[in-house]
Amino acid sequence: MKSIEVEHITKTYNRVTALDDVSFSVDKGEVFGLIGPDGAGKTTMFRILCTLLPADSGTATVDGLDTASQLTAIRSRVGYMPGKFSLYQDLTVRENLEFFATLFGTTVDEGYDSIRAIYSQIERFEGRRAGALSGGMKQKLALSCALVHSPSVLFLDEPTTGVDPVSRKEFWDMLTMLKERDITIVASTPYLDEVRRCERVAFLDHGVVRGIDTPEVILDRFADIFNPPGIARENQTEADSGNVIEVSHLVKAFGTFHAVDDISFTVKRGEIFGFLGANGAGKTTAMHMLTGLNQPTSGTGTVAGYDIRTQHELIKRHIGYMSQRFSLYEDLTVAENIRLFAGIYGMSDGEIARKTDEVLERLQFSEHKNDLVASLPLGWKQKLAFTVSIFHEPSVVFLDEPTGGVDPATRRQFWELIYDAAQRGITVFVTTHYMDEAEYCDRISIMVDGKIKAMGTPDELKREFNQPDMDHVFTHLARQAVRSSD
Amino acid sequence: MTLKYLIQKEFLQIRRNAFLPRLIIVFPIMVMCVLPWIMNQEVKNIVVDVVDNDRSALSQRLVHDIEASKYFIFNGQKANYEQALQEVQQSLADIILVIPRHYSRDLVAGRQPQVLIAANAVNGTKGAMGSAYLSQIVTSHSNPSVAAIQSRLQTLNLYNKHQNYKLYMIPALLAIVMMLLCGFLPALNIVGEKESGTIEQINVTPVSKWSFILAKLIPYWIIALFVIVVCLLLSWLVYGITCQGPVALVFVLAMLLALFWSSFGLVISNYSDTMQQAIFVMWFFVVMMLLLSGLFTPARSMPDWAYATTYVNPMHYFIDAIRTVFIRGGGLSSILHQLAALAGIGLLMATWAIASYKKNS
Amino acid sequence: MKQFLSFVQKEARHILRDKRTMLILFGMPVVMMLIFGFAITNDVRNVRTLVVTAHNDHATQQAIDRLAASQYFVIVGAVATPAEAELQIRNQKADLAIIFGRDFASKQSGLQMMVDGSDPNMAQQWTNYATQTILNPSASPVNMKMLYNPQMRSAYNFVPAIMGMLLMLVCAMMTSISIVREKERGTMEVLLVSPVRPLMMIVAKAVPYLVLAFGILVIILVMARYVMDVPLAGSLFWIVVISLIYILLALSLGLLISSVAQTQLVALLLSAMVLLMPIVMLSGMLFPIESMPRVLQWVSAVIPPRYYIAAMRKLMIMGVGIGDVLREVGILVAMTVALLALALVKFNNRLE
Repeated sequence: MKSIEVEHITKTYNRVTALDDVSFSVDKGEVFGLIGPDGAGKTTMFRILCTLLPADSGTATVDGLDTASQLTAIRSRVGYMPGKFSLYQDLTVRENLEFFATLFGTTVDEGYDSIRAIYSQIERFEGRRAGALSGGMKQKLALSCALVHSPSVLFLDEPTTGVDPVSRKEFWDMLTMLKERDITIVASTPYLDEVRRCERVAFLDHGVVRGIDTPEVILDRFADIFNPPGIARENQTEADSGNVIEVSHLVKAFGTFHAVDDISFTVKRGEIFGFLGANGAGKTTAMHMLTGLNQPTSGTGTVAGYDIRTQHELIKRHIGYMSQRFSLYEDLTVAENIRLFAGIYGMSDGEIARKTDEVLERLQFSEHKNDLVASLPLGWKQKLAFTVSIFHEPSVVFLDEPTGGVDPATRRQFWELIYDAAQRGITVFVTTHYMDEAEYCDRISIMVDGKIKAMGTPDELKREFNQPDMDHVFTHLARQAVRSSD
Repeated sequence: MTLKYLIQKEFLQIRRNAFLPRLIIVFPIMVMCVLPWIMNQEVKNIVVDVVDNDRSALSQRLVHDIEASKYFIFNGQKANYEQALQEVQQSLADIILVIPRHYSRDLVAGRQPQVLIAANAVNGTKGAMGSAYLSQIVTSHSNPSVAAIQSRLQTLNLYNKHQNYKLYMIPALLAIVMMLLCGFLPALNIVGEKESGTIEQINVTPVSKWSFILAKLIPYWIIALFVIVVCLLLSWLVYGITCQGPVALVFVLAMLLALFWSSFGLVISNYSDTMQQAIFVMWFFVVMMLLLSGLFTPARSMPDWAYATTYVNPMHYFIDAIRTVFIRGGGLSSILHQLAALAGIGLLMATWAIASYKKNS
Repeated sequence: MKQFLSFVQKEARHILRDKRTMLILFGMPVVMMLIFGFAITNDVRNVRTLVVTAHNDHATQQAIDRLAASQYFVIVGAVATPAEAELQIRNQKADLAIIFGRDFASKQSGLQMMVDGSDPNMAQQWTNYATQTILNPSASPVNMKMLYNPQMRSAYNFVPAIMGMLLMLVCAMMTSISIVREKERGTMEVLLVSPVRPLMMIVAKAVPYLVLAFGILVIILVMARYVMDVPLAGSLFWIVVISLIYILLALSLGLLISSVAQTQLVALLLSAMVLLMPIVMLSGMLFPIESMPRVLQWVSAVIPPRYYIAAMRKLMIMGVGIGDVLREVGILVAMTVALLALALVKFNNRLE
């Protein structure tokens, strides 16, 4: 029996075609993946299926009901988690969950079993406001809210962006459990390991279905897009010219809670340092202390030779930073953003103009020099944000989950940029939830519960913990976590 | 010279916004062209019902005098007081004049006939002014000796010879435009950057607190300058009203007010978490400062506790000073202490705006 | 029903958690009532008066004493020439100068007044009062009666206006922002896809604001009665009924704004431009409608608070029966029905 049938759906926004004659069907109880690069039309497809948008032409049915005419009937039997699912920031964790449970006509107790694996991780913080949770924690709460009821069809639009690998595995285990209850699941994701857990996937590209088949077949057929060849660092310079970051016994406490609990490490000049950890392990807090956004509670540290306690404004002269939230000015053009940040670091007009052309040329982005940043696709925004953060040639650049929600091909291009920067002697301090990216780093540390549990080159760590790849190393360590919070 | 780049950015952002440039240009023009007609406390067109119980030649003459007055609209004779009162209740009339029986006989006999004026005083100003005008007409009619004194009594209306209410309001409008444009826009500014996340990117750069805040303030000062020019030009072109005192002083005063409002807006923005919060807090202060500034009603009529607040209200100093310069033609010496107070409060606010912006917590 | 309650509870929590906005929402009526009730007044009070006289004879002195004794005038000094007086007025050291002529005593003439005419109304009142006080006409032929407001308190005029403004602001602005915020943050998508009917969602959203508005109404009425001694002459029942109609109207307006606006900023600016400015300026709250030019009077005819304020003034202060405000109530009801219908038609079940 078919749960979803989509026939010749076309949707255009202001002459931009988002979906072009899309047809596919999903069986009852199937886990169906909707994959494709940024801007492929996945979110539009979800919205049409959820009756939020009308299609221009074509028909779509959910459980045999027409999405164009039978809104109410469909809405009472589907569950939807949009890409930018945002919780009520001023309600507590528990209140959010209860509200959504009531909304879907169930209670937290009834639905508890289906969310136990994830919700138990944040249950300790039931009384905390959702706005005070870290990014990954919020996503976990959002997942719990979306899964607390058992709809007949569940639509998930990139549900695990920013979630650490261990929790992602748990999440997909939960989806498999739902499948046993005959719930149809349609999900989109940029993670390859998640794609592999679908039964069938449709590959959308620029609004056109390029193929529908099992994940293996699709990933194989479009290997150049999904599985670009790994990159190797050319003639790696021996990083021995001293330490750029030195941290010793750093602690950040919020009340009695130690977000960062006595960490010590050093990073050498020109190194690519991967700073890994589960959601809420304290990565962002640690990074904020290093970049001078926050004061440490105790402990000492230097960045580029300056004390993080007393000389934070001097540190800021010598670093670049790219935050988790995309934060260039959307209402300025590419060139204007570059000019603004370069100007802030004291570069002269002539220098800025010359270097802007040079950098955009290298990125092959010159024709978009005067485009508004808001009009760029996500992958380009992130590349641009990185370019801006190293434009003034800082000694260290801090990247906080720079590639969240981006498709594999774009991520690979991004890492080429990182290697390029490292080549020029810029130290790179990066956090990521993609374990293939962890392999690209020179050295990594893994944080668990505010403490650094492991540090070394990827090969050293694999050997030390006797695991085949970084994914397993991470899972092995993160499963030991006692607390799960920020 | 990071300031240059930051200011450029602010201007670009204002220009790119679909709404702001239009607002900045249209708003002062709208205010100057429409508000003077609205903010008119001139009392005229008072509707009078007359109950003439005398119906003599003398009482008819009184009625004619009222009809001839420019303040009143004669609504006809009513049979009795109750009927007239009914009309007041339905808001068809504002004032009732009751001429007693034997009015003419008493007047001729030298006795004082008692004329009743009953005014709807829900709107106190209108009631008071209307009944005062009406009683003047009655008095001069029934008491020639008082009329004689009054006719010889000369009143010299300084500065506003034609009793033009617009002249009184137009300089104050400058304060309203300044407050709304240079107060509300900055209040939304930093909190907007907080909500979009760009503030974090700025906070990890070496940009200094004061240059960041100054870069946010300067565009609003330039907008203020534009507003002053527009307002002065329009008041001359549309209403033929020009500044009596030195125009330079108008600029100085208005710029000081802009300094206060833009800094105040940023202070609120710094302490707010959401735009809604910023707007509400700003609105609260705006309403209070505006009402207690003496713009609509004379500050000296306020009770003492309310008058005490005017010592810290920059709007009061500004309104006082701008009216002195613009209408009364006062010079620098006339407004020295208002200038000093405005500058003091403005600088204090600017300092606070810089101090309350936290790059590092 | 349970969903409905949980919605109301959620909405109430949003309001209660934002302490600053709450403080403003409840502080505003209190502060506005105090300011309008006591501070905003056109009373003739503390008029700074200068005496200009060359001779200080008995009659002059008597006149000055009478002025000084009155509650209206404060004698701030005496100068010799009118020119000096003019300078003092220009420098805002005085408002009024009374110039006694050489032959003031003998003929009761030669009296001149020089007044700061910047504010024509006040200038007129000051001179009227001064004339009355100095001449002290033995018996006035006029018997004055101030209907409804014998003490000439401005609070009588402003209380209905404050009600009109605050109820509109709380209901329309707050509801529209709270709906648009859900659109902006993305929670609206989830709510729309949920089994809850959109209409119920909207009603649930409106309930807390209705309660809030009602609370504000009660605060204003209680303050008006017991702090400001405004009489509340009319029927309390009808005051509340008409206020509820008006609140409903404001809620529909808020709903309408929220279906037009896509971002909070736009909703805020729309509320400020479409609601606040016209209410303050054109509803007859501060400035009498009949003094406006004809065109603006037409514009003010479509502004709902105008009719609410007018009805409240009649009902509360003048104490007329419901029969005398039928016209206003009729217009309000018609506007409410029209706006509500429009808002429901415009309300979008989908995203675009």
